[in-house]
Amino acid sequence: MTAPGAGEHALPRSMAAHRTASVVAALCGSIFLLFLVAPIARWVVGGGTSGVGELFTDAELRSSLWLTAVTATLAMAAGALGGTPLAYLLARRRFRGKAVVAAVLDLPLLIPHPVAGIALLLVLGRESAVGRALLHAGIQVAGSPIGIICAMVFVSAPLYISAAREAFARVDPRYESVARTLGDPAWRAFRRVTLPLSVRGLIAAAVVMWARAVSEFGAIVILTYNPKVASVLSYDRFTGFGLTEALPVAAVLSILALIPLVALRALRPERGAGLDV
Amino acid sequence: MIEVDRLEAQVGSFQLRDVTFTVPRGQYGVVIGPAGSGKTTLLEAIAGVITPRAGRVVLDGRDVTGERPERRRLGIVYQHGYLFPHLSVADNVTYGAADSVFAREIAERVGATKLYDRPVRALSGGERQVVALARALAIRPSVLLLDEPFSALDPRSRTATRRIVRAVHRELGITVVQVTHDFTEAGLLGDVAVLLDQGRVLQAGPPDEVFRRPASAYIAEFLGAENVFAGTVRASGHDDAAPTDLLDPDSAPAGGHRALKFRSGPLTFYAVGDATPGAAHAVIRAEEVVLSTEANPSSARNQFAGTIEEIATLGALTRVTVDVGGVALVAALTTRSAHELGLTRGAKVWASFKAMAVHLC
Amino acid sequence: MRIRSLVPGVLAVAASCGRSAPKSAGDSTSAGALGGTIVVYTAASVAIPIRAALDTFAAREHVTVQQENGGSLDIARKLTELHQIPDVVVLADYDVFPKLLMPDQTTWYADFARNRMVLAFTDKSKFASEVDSANWPTVLQRPGVQLGRANPDLDPNGYRTLLTMQLAEQYYKRPGLYDKLMKLSPAKNVRPKEADLVGVLQAGEFDYIWSYESLARATKLRYITLPSAIDLGTPEDTAIYAKASVKVAGKTPKDTLTITGEPIVYAVSIPKAAPHPQVGEKFVAFLLSPEGRALMHAAKLDALGTPVIIGGGAPASVSAAASAQ
Repeated sequence: MTAPGAGEHALPRSMAAHRTASVVAALCGSIFLLFLVAPIARWVVGGGTSGVGELFTDAELRSSLWLTAVTATLAMAAGALGGTPLAYLLARRRFRGKAVVAAVLDLPLLIPHPVAGIALLLVLGRESAVGRALLHAGIQVAGSPIGIICAMVFVSAPLYISAAREAFARVDPRYESVARTLGDPAWRAFRRVTLPLSVRGLIAAAVVMWARAVSEFGAIVILTYNPKVASVLSYDRFTGFGLTEALPVAAVLSILALIPLVALRALRPERGAGLDV
Repeated sequence: MIEVDRLEAQVGSFQLRDVTFTVPRGQYGVVIGPAGSGKTTLLEAIAGVITPRAGRVVLDGRDVTGERPERRRLGIVYQHGYLFPHLSVADNVTYGAADSVFAREIAERVGATKLYDRPVRALSGGERQVVALARALAIRPSVLLLDEPFSALDPRSRTATRRIVRAVHRELGITVVQVTHDFTEAGLLGDVAVLLDQGRVLQAGPPDEVFRRPASAYIAEFLGAENVFAGTVRASGHDDAAPTDLLDPDSAPAGGHRALKFRSGPLTFYAVGDATPGAAHAVIRAEEVVLSTEANPSSARNQFAGTIEEIATLGALTRVTVDVGGVALVAALTTRSAHELGLTRGAKVWASFKAMAVHLC
Repeated sequence: MRIRSLVPGVLAVAASCGRSAPKSAGDSTSAGALGGTIVVYTAASVAIPIRAALDTFAAREHVTVQQENGGSLDIARKLTELHQIPDVVVLADYDVFPKLLMPDQTTWYADFARNRMVLAFTDKSKFASEVDSANWPTVLQRPGVQLGRANPDLDPNGYRTLLTMQLAEQYYKRPGLYDKLMKLSPAKNVRPKEADLVGVLQAGEFDYIWSYESLARATKLRYITLPSAIDLGTPEDTAIYAKASVKVAGKTPKDTLTITGEPIVYAVSIPKAAPHPQVGEKFVAFLLSPEGRALMHAAKLDALGTPVIIGGGAPASVSAAASAQ
């Protein structure tokens, strides 16, 4: 193997092997990327323009997209609020049964989605203790956006907790120890040191959670079919009217979802906040 | 002051068992131990970062066992600085400081202010330690804990940073506990030396005492003593008879010290001490061994003829290993002396040392 | 290399999603047995009885079964839009055949079973001990009762619910009953298909759901039967049923389709482009035969005593089985 234009000498064997490995990796990566992107690209191209046009005419589509955006964002906020302390505990503390707790937290990811929906109904529905109390306070879970948010949080929070736990674990506990000796109580050390150092990972985790919430269907449809989020609407459109009606909905959803996804990823702080100091 | 009383702690595989020592107020304590001896665990137990299983920690007369780290008024500097990467150098220094004026002053004193406009990532190891030191001192601690602060530095930074630490210690009068695996630092910096091995305190006391009178051969070797011999102790004077003559100068106890003989292999040393006859170890510091090219009578009771086996020069110090009847004896001299004596490998020399230089343990 | 060996695995997993596990029925070399595969798309509401028939057929003929369940319209779309053609199509609404599938996908279909609308409930439902075939309109309107129904645009059960409610208003001679009943099942009580209602009922969120008799029996729910003049279950009452009509979404969201009341009849057919027509034919013949009818009875489906074939071009064995007693 001769390096093109590199002069008299052939590449040493180790370098040549390295080159081959890089080429193979790039090839495999490209194929896989294509596998992931091509189906989406096809339908976005197929339904994109008519879909965006429909935005202006189709009130049901608009309200469905708006509902999806609001519920997914609220679900992300709720998941982050509740999940962050849990993720921190799992990352830092040792306690008995920790492995069990972590495994249990992963369960919602395994359960078939309609089953998850039923499970939530049993706990939050009007027959349950919690549900009855909520109804008393005027809050209806099934058949309302609250139900949508509950289903979204249930299926997406475990993803957040997993990823957030990793983000915290990557921050050396010694930073916190130092902060504490400098006078910070535990929560302040968390706020001033751990949080800023892990915020990139947390944002990435939140993005995953948000995306998962937007795509959820099976659990949501059990709790709340109407009003319809985008996933339910596109299913309805497909079942009722076929591909030509469903594609634009899916296309618009994909295009619009790109905006917050890109924005969230761009928000991540500079590389300067890295941890190798 | 720092008092550690029967401290027991465990973090992962690092253990502390029955650790007791005291560093008086304003003094500099050095905890010496090899890797894995639990040095960092000890510091973190004193700091309150980890909770000990048993024992007490007393700081300035106050029992702080069980108190949270943020209330203990101490500063800690780890081996790698642990500067907060997301904050500037200045913000690092003032992180916990209540008095920003004092913070700036102390930063100025240790030489951290000139680093203020540099990003934390761009600092060298020595510079990081300086900033970490300023950060710890800025909160006006009464106690400063240093975890191998100089180990990761290059020799020049090491010397410079040591100098700063020593100066600051003197000027501020804070109590310092430093852990290290480098026993020479104990001699250079410490008022109190504590030997830590596998989570236990082997010996504690003024560095001089610990070095000259190690409690065991293990400790002696631990401290880098080069001449450690196993053998037997006998009362001196008449070889086989027990001394009874009060007028015999060799047998008169002087303040509990007797003249003793120590036999190790083919060699017999004359020693002075209160060791009881039986198996023991003899430790002679290399610095106490004097070499000469001729057999000169002197007050040194121990004089042996031998051949130079090896000469190792390190800067201004030279270590000469002499083969004495099959036994290796190490002498430390200035390189200049070695040069002037014309010492070479294979040359014949006389090695001598006083009876008082033989420490029996 | 490693990626290549992953691909068949991934494809297999993907292919089996949405399909019930293929049942392998052993060697296909026994004398007389057909062997091979049969692909069946079934309306969800009749999936269980069809499965029972398929299992018996598969064991006898050593055939591997691939069964997919879905809403009748879902299934029609699979053929017309996605060009996924099975060997046998079973729909809950025989009307879908002439409306969507003929003549392109097939030229005939056979009515083979019927069903009727019921109100299903559980022991936990409110007033479960009091409700009966006569007082249900009053009981349902008591405060706190939650009534669930299926989406009329997606599931025949959904529009049949609306038709039944209209017929009830006429039958009980209570003007405004339809609107009152609709108020009891507003948008938040709607689910895509009847099958989706069952879980929610069992979880206690609904007290009553509009269902089919076959489904209520198969899922072991309690139910009340309705007067035959309103339950769309008696072919003899077709004229009465025709007095009700609803508008549902048509081919596109902007179109509407008017559906007139008709008895609920299940129909089966073999698409023209079936991948294994021989096996499909043998199964349909089996299904329509007296033995097949008995099997479906056992599985709680009201199989017609005499299946009726509409349209031309049905295989001879199928017609013969249908007329056999």
